[in-house]
Amino acid sequence: MTARRRLLATASIALVAAGLLAGCSSGSSSSSASFSKDASGSLKAWAFDNADDVGKARLAYAKSHLKGVDISLDQTTFDAQKFTTRVASGNVPDVVQMDAQFVATYAAQGLITPLDKCYSIHDVSPSSTFYPSVRADVTYDGHIWAVPQFYQPPAIILNMRVMDKAGVTPEQINTSKPDELVAAIKKMYVANGGKPSTMGFDPVASGQPGLWILGYGGQIIDSSGKPTLDDPKNVKGLQVLKQIYDAQGGYAADKSFSDTFDTFGKKNQFVTDQVGAQVDNQWYVNVLTPFMKQVQISAVPFYASDGKPFTVSSGSAFVIPAGAKNKDAACAWALDLDSMGAWKAAAAARASTIKATPGAVNTGLFTGSPAADKFVRDTYVKSSGNAGFDKTIDTYYDVVGNGKSIGTSPAGQQIQTELQNALQSTLLGSKSPSAALKDAQSAAMTAYRQAVKNSTPSK
Amino acid sequence: MSRVEPLRSAVPASTRRHPARAGRGAPDARPKRRSSQRRREAVAGFLFISPWIIGFLVFTAGSMIYSLVISFTNYNLATGSTTPAGFSNYAELFQDPKIAQSLGNTLYYAVLAVPLEVIVALGLAMVLNRAGRGSGFFRTVFYLPKMTPVVATASVFLLLLNGNTGAINQFLGFFGIHGPQWLVDPHWVIPSIVLMTLWGVSGTMVIFLAALNNVPRDLYEVASLDGAGPVRKFFTITVPMISGAIFFNVIVLTIAAFQVFDQAYLLFWRDQTNASPSSSLFYAVYLFQQAFRQFDFGFASAMAWLLFLIVMAITLIQVKLSNRFVYYEGDR
Repeated sequence: MTARRRLLATASIALVAAGLLAGCSSGSSSSSASFSKDASGSLKAWAFDNADDVGKARLAYAKSHLKGVDISLDQTTFDAQKFTTRVASGNVPDVVQMDAQFVATYAAQGLITPLDKCYSIHDVSPSSTFYPSVRADVTYDGHIWAVPQFYQPPAIILNMRVMDKAGVTPEQINTSKPDELVAAIKKMYVANGGKPSTMGFDPVASGQPGLWILGYGGQIIDSSGKPTLDDPKNVKGLQVLKQIYDAQGGYAADKSFSDTFDTFGKKNQFVTDQVGAQVDNQWYVNVLTPFMKQVQISAVPFYASDGKPFTVSSGSAFVIPAGAKNKDAACAWALDLDSMGAWKAAAAARASTIKATPGAVNTGLFTGSPAADKFVRDTYVKSSGNAGFDKTIDTYYDVVGNGKSIGTSPAGQQIQTELQNALQSTLLGSKSPSAALKDAQSAAMTAYRQAVKNSTPSK
Repeated sequence: MSRVEPLRSAVPASTRRHPARAGRGAPDARPKRRSSQRRREAVAGFLFISPWIIGFLVFTAGSMIYSLVISFTNYNLATGSTTPAGFSNYAELFQDPKIAQSLGNTLYYAVLAVPLEVIVALGLAMVLNRAGRGSGFFRTVFYLPKMTPVVATASVFLLLLNGNTGAINQFLGFFGIHGPQWLVDPHWVIPSIVLMTLWGVSGTMVIFLAALNNVPRDLYEVASLDGAGPVRKFFTITVPMISGAIFFNVIVLTIAAFQVFDQAYLLFWRDQTNASPSSSLFYAVYLFQQAFRQFDFGFASAMAWLLFLIVMAITLIQVKLSNRFVYYEGDR
């Protein structure tokens, strides 16, 4: 190759690279957080699941209130990688539904728009509309970043058949009295050849770490968003969980056992008596209603260390990406979907479905809004004819107001991952709870520093 | 060897045909014609492979250059803007304990997976190579796992590897072995991922099968006449004759092992509400988390380049070592 050709080749590669760089760097434009009440044009929504009667009714309600807006839905589930690609290409949807626990991370990166003005221009007050814990889940850096929906509080569903057989009463399933609880678990636990066939109590540690840590007075994230996994108060929750698993074969055996549960099927863990009690989110009652004749359930709340009923918030939320082209319609649509009118329509639709389905039970809707929840419960949730189911439904309604937010952080997901690591190390016995939490805190702080490095100040 | 004859291609064509004219610079119209014809052929060749070259430049080389650039920046996804970061992302690689942890996990996986994949694939290829009638059927059957989507495979392996009721532990139970908690016990997490990887070994098997088919039968016949047994024949004929294929597979599998993602992600990291053992945190999984959960693209790009350098170094060492062990028929 001559020097001239080499030069030409180098220049060509540089040109291609420069072109690529230029193409790739054309990201989304910076956002404005101002909103107008006049919604018009076309609206692109992503990840809103309108497959069931509740979703369809809410969608129809929102559509009827946005007459001048052409709404198109992409019903595929939210995917972080897809979202990132769309942001990088400047082709973002106007409104997206995502898990509420992701919101702070996206907010810190400037990927979504603060919605304070969206709420105010539509005269919606987040503080009077949502449960405080639900609102806290989507609040970061002094701003509210999402319209939350569906709050699924966890509580403890009891399998009365297993409990009665073992001589255990619902009062003994009291998480504020770990020693009594462990004794009751041992009574219910059955194993064959060292392998569990009935777990006395499935605490679902890996799915509900926040419940166990916060319930015993701990803290995962502080008000500034920093992880606080090495808070000495966090040790208690891990210790109790270790006690619970060790009383019934150990974490490894119990985890492998619970992984085999036919959770949504005809042979679920309550039908087959594989659990005496289990921590479940409210939606699981809906799964059990078709099996009303095969199960004997009741419920108790999770009791905090002070003896009071306790739960943690969870759910999904609508966010408006920073590069959204029709923020006004997105704001109006999200608020309409989450309005009292939409929930009333949804509850009516659900009631019609239940009426048309023999044996179906209305377990209520847990919307994230106390007013909407009260309306649905008062209007549609009637006695099912099964005292155990009625007690279960009531338990969830009674505990929903006692929720606490895990906290919000730019590194929220990584902090949760580190908490899971600490949990596993403790439960498998490879580390003491305090050592595991100390290591988790160190890793979480690294993640936090990395997240803050690229964070964008809120607008 | 008494005399080494140079390869014809190493000698200029004009010198080969007219040795006497070499160096004289005598005028001749034919070389010019040949030269222009060769140029036309070269252009045609480049045109034929241009779709691949363009694809490579845009989707591979371009992306690599871009990732190199952003590895020296803090990239803001929201605005698409970058701020210079110097070597801070690279410095962070040495400060983040997860990097060493994930690299260690990945290395352990590679050390376990690559030799096992080669052994299992070669074993299967030898079995298939001996199959007479119905070999086509068995080849198809053996290749089916490769065609199965990884998501489906992962779902099946979640059941197979269950520590209490999984088929693998049930099987071990027949021999009185109390199987481990594959997916929960941190010590058994990587071996469980290796098992899942072995399920998809048929791609490697096909390469071995092709290599085995090319081994001249007369070598085995002569060895048999000399009284060599199957083991002797395997180590003195089969292995040297397919050493090129073994080397190729080792290189490709090593590179793939360092990039392992699917199996670990699907078994442990996809469901964010579930506990994922830290021993399943592979380098590519952590890179993915940095890019698509933390949006730290600068750091993720630095991670990618570190991996590239590690894989390149390992490959160079393997190539260097191959000179001693790999037999190429044309060379000797």
